[in-house]
Amino acid sequence: MSSFEFRNAQFDIAHERRELEDAAAGGYASFEGWVRAQNEGHIVNRLEYEAFEQLGAKEGERIVQEAIARFGVRHARCIHRLGDLAIGELAVWVGASSEHRDEAFAACRFIIDEVKHRVPIWKKEHYANGDSGWVNCERCSDHGATDTSPEAHRHDHGANAGHRAHTAVAYDYSRQTTLSGIGARGQARLAASRVLVIGAGGLGCPVLAYLAGAGVGTIGIVDADRVEASNLHRQPLYTFADVGRNKAEAAAERVTAMNPWIVVEAHAERFTGENASQLLADYDLVVECSDNFATKFLVNDAAVLAGKPAVLASVYQYEGQLQVVRPDRSGSCLRCLWPEALRDGMVGNCVESGVLGPVPGVFGSLQAVETLKLLLDLPGQLESEILIVDLGNLVQQRLKAPRCNDCEGRPCSRITELPAAAVADTAIEVTLERAQARGFQIVDIREPAECIATPTLIECIRIPMADLLMNPAVLPRSAGVVLMCARGRRSLATALELRHAGNANVWSLRDGVAGLEQV
Amino acid sequence: MTVRRQVRIKYYAVLRERAGRHEETLETTAVDARELYEELRTRHAFHLPQSQLKVAINAEFADWSQNLNEGDEVVFIPPVAGG
Repeated sequence: MSSFEFRNAQFDIAHERRELEDAAAGGYASFEGWVRAQNEGHIVNRLEYEAFEQLGAKEGERIVQEAIARFGVRHARCIHRLGDLAIGELAVWVGASSEHRDEAFAACRFIIDEVKHRVPIWKKEHYANGDSGWVNCERCSDHGATDTSPEAHRHDHGANAGHRAHTAVAYDYSRQTTLSGIGARGQARLAASRVLVIGAGGLGCPVLAYLAGAGVGTIGIVDADRVEASNLHRQPLYTFADVGRNKAEAAAERVTAMNPWIVVEAHAERFTGENASQLLADYDLVVECSDNFATKFLVNDAAVLAGKPAVLASVYQYEGQLQVVRPDRSGSCLRCLWPEALRDGMVGNCVESGVLGPVPGVFGSLQAVETLKLLLDLPGQLESEILIVDLGNLVQQRLKAPRCNDCEGRPCSRITELPAAAVADTAIEVTLERAQARGFQIVDIREPAECIATPTLIECIRIPMADLLMNPAVLPRSAGVVLMCARGRRSLATALELRHAGNANVWSLRDGVAGLEQV
Repeated sequence: MTVRRQVRIKYYAVLRERAGRHEETLETTAVDARELYEELRTRHAFHLPQSQLKVAINAEFADWSQNLNEGDEVVFIPPVAGG
C-alpha cells in the first residue's frame, strides 16, 4: 500500500487509520484539512481539486517517507482529495503513529507543510457571486511568504498587542524540533517563554536573531542608544539606512520581519535602578548584552533580587567571557567574583580598545545557546563557572567560580536594593570652565597615538594613563590636577583610583576631549 | 633558603596586550598569587592594581593569599565590559 494517495471520492478515516496500528506504537496523531466557506474575503460555495497525479503521487510518497525517516515514526500516511468538494468536506488527511506523541505530531506537521509546498495541486474556488478561479496552492504559499505589506510585518512597540503575519506558510521549526530533547513539547515551551535582552549591540544582535529564530514567544529589547556607522561591522541586524535610529526600535522591526509569529517588545530606554525591577517582572530570564560595568552589575543585582536567571557576556578585542547567573538554583553571581561593582574606564571597551566584529558575534551566539539550554532544561549548562575564550589563539578555559560566602542567603547579602539611576559624580568631575577658574593643571592621559589623531589646543601636560597608575608620584604638585581623556571615562576611573590611593587633589574632565569639541 | 617554583601563567585582555604574550612559564620566589602579580607588574608594567583583577589557580578562582605550588597554572583575569 502506498503511503500517499489521491482519492476522487469521500473516504472513511476510521478505516484508513487502521493501516497505522502497531503494537509498538504508543499513540497516533492526525491532521484534517477541511473546505472552508471563505478565502481572502470571498464567500466560497464549493471547491474543485485537480492534480498532476503521476508526479504528485511520487512526490507525496517521498514526503511521507522523509517524515518517517526524519522523525522515526512507526507509520505515516497522507490522502488528498481530488474532484468536487462541498463546504466542510475533508480535503486532506494525514496520520502518523509512533512510540511517543512528539514524533507523531511533528511528522503530521511536516507532511502537511511539505505537501502544500511540493505537490502540484490546484484548486478552483466557486464563489457565491458566481465567479470562480483557479488557485495554485504552491503559488498561494509563496504569495504569503513574500507579502511585504505593512500589515504583514507590523511589529509591536507596546506591551500587550500581539501580531501575526497573515501568510499561508507557517514558520517551520522542524530543523530544531527534530533534535532529541526539543520536539513539539520543547517548542511549546519556547513559545511560552518571555526573554528580556538588555542592549541590542554586538552581543544583542546574534542573541535576538537566534532567539527569534528558535521561536521564543516574547522578546523584550531594552536600548536607548542610536545606531552609529561604527556599529555596523559587528551588529548585523542593522543596515546603513538604520544609522541614527533607536536601536530597540530598529532591532524590533528587523527581528519581527525575521519571525512574525513571535511578539517583540521594544523598550527605547536605558536600563536603570528605577525601571529594572518593573522591566524584569514581565520576563522569565534576562540576557545581558550591554557594553558597560554599571549596567552589567545592575542586571546581575536585579536578576538576583528577582530570583531569575541571567546570561551575561562581555568581550574585549579578540576575547570574551561568559557567565550564567542562577539565583533560582543557588549558583554564583557576578558579585561572587567581583564583590564591589567595577568602574567603567579602567579597562577598555569597544570604543576605546576596538573589537573584531565576529567576536561579539561568537559570544552573543554562546549566550543564545545557553539561554535556549536553560529554557529547554537541556543538560550541560554553564553554572557556577566562567567560560573564557580567546579567539586570538582559539584557547578556551572554564574556571570554577563557587558561590561566595556572603551569598549563602538568598538574595545575596551584598545586594539589598538597586541603586537609583547613575548620576554624574559631581564631586570628582569638573568642566573645563571650572578647572580653569580654579587654576587646575590639566593632564592629558590619552595614549600618544590618540593625542596625535585628535589634538587639542588646551594647555596641558601629557602622562599616559598606564604610566600614571604605575607611578602616581609623577603628578605635578600643584593645587589641583584635572585628568583628561577622549570621553571622560578613563579619566574618571583613574581619578577615582588615585583618590583611593590617597591623592585628594585629583579631578576628571567631564566628557573629555569629545566634550571640548562640541563647545 | 628561598624556594623557587616553576609556574605557568596565562594572560587575558589588557594584561595579554601589555605582556605581549598569551602565556609564559617562569621560575618565581613568590609565595602566593599576590606576590606573583606584584613581580609580574614590575616585569610587564601592568597598570591595573591587583584589586581590579581575579586570579584562578588550576582552573578554579582562588584567594590572592593562596600558596603557589610547583607546576601550578595561574590565570590573571581582568574584567571586560565590551558588548
